[in-house]
Amino acid sequence: MTHDDESQNAPIPEPLDEASPSERARAKAFADIVDKAITGRAPAVMSADDRALLEVATVIRAANGQAELSTQKQRSIVEDALRQAIGDATSQTSGQLGVIPIGSARKKWLPWALTGASTAIAAAAMLVLWLRVPEKQVVSTPTSWQSRPADPLVGPIARENAGDASARIDYLFADRLEGYRDRRLSGRGGKR
Amino acid sequence: MKSHTVIGVLIGALLLAAAMFLAGRVSVSDDYVTKDVTKIADATDVIDEALMMSLAQAKNFHRKAKVYMSDGKLEEATAAVRQILSLSFPKGAPEADDVRLDARALLAKLLVLQGKLDEAMRTVDEGLASSQRESFFVANLHTVRGEILEARATNYDAEGEPSKSLAAAARRSAIEAYDKSIQINEKLQKQLMENR
Repeated sequence: MTHDDESQNAPIPEPLDEASPSERARAKAFADIVDKAITGRAPAVMSADDRALLEVATVIRAANGQAELSTQKQRSIVEDALRQAIGDATSQTSGQLGVIPIGSARKKWLPWALTGASTAIAAAAMLVLWLRVPEKQVVSTPTSWQSRPADPLVGPIARENAGDASARIDYLFADRLEGYRDRRLSGRGGKR
Repeated sequence: MKSHTVIGVLIGALLLAAAMFLAGRVSVSDDYVTKDVTKIADATDVIDEALMMSLAQAKNFHRKAKVYMSDGKLEEATAAVRQILSLSFPKGAPEADDVRLDARALLAKLLVLQGKLDEAMRTVDEGLASSQRESFFVANLHTVRGEILEARATNYDAEGEPSKSLAAAARRSAIEAYDKSIQINEKLQKQLMENR
């Protein structure tokens, strides 16, 4: 604290003035503190002015992009992030546990891979079946079920039977009734 | 197996089932609609209730006419047969044409029996004009037309010498009508034999 008092009590030097011995000594002492802080060996006790100056120096250094994490620290942070990404419940703060090899966590992807694959296959099958051209297959209706000309049933009409329409309609009705009953009773439907 | 895998497989199975249903591979159980059938034969021409009702009505009118004819009541029989011509049949049913042509043949014969030759001829000609296709019923109508022409020739004969030429012309027309009937019958018989 002595040199702080002295520096506060000393007159403010002109910018182009030569540095005094005491000023040089203070600069060297502060440079040592900064060097120790950079290498992670900052003194536990220092004056409030020195601490404030050290913080400013650290901020200036970080702003210049010169502050880097150690290799071990970087690796720990990456491992922690990966463990969290794969849902490891035992994820710990970096540096507190040994690093788990990333290969041991690979099997955690298996359920998701199976889920994705089966869904993709189903979607592909759906697409193929949707887009396929339907196969035309015709089920023919039995002739006896169909409304059709009566010629094959009646045959040529002889002149002496030209007026026997009553007999022919009886025959036609009986034939069509048989087909109608067959269709209805078979339960296979079909509609007009 | 992890729950993720089970859920994934279930989702896949559901999607596959939905796809198969949509694509028509699996259909509702029905004897007429079978698996893998995407088109059913056109079933619009099957025998249905409407056709059977029309045929039953025609049958009843014919029965009624037959009773009147057996009782000598030709006018009542004629009226009964005329009602067949106004029956409604399902659209496009081939039986409708056949039943109406056959009714016209009987109607014409009844009119001939009553001496109404012109009306009989008109009945036959209207039937021939309305026919959609050649059939044994059309051939029969030509036969009846020949009979009408024969009856007309007989009438001309009764009128004496001045109508001799008319009678001859009527007989020639009758022969033409019979020839037409024979021609249609032969053609249809040949078709039926080929289709067997």
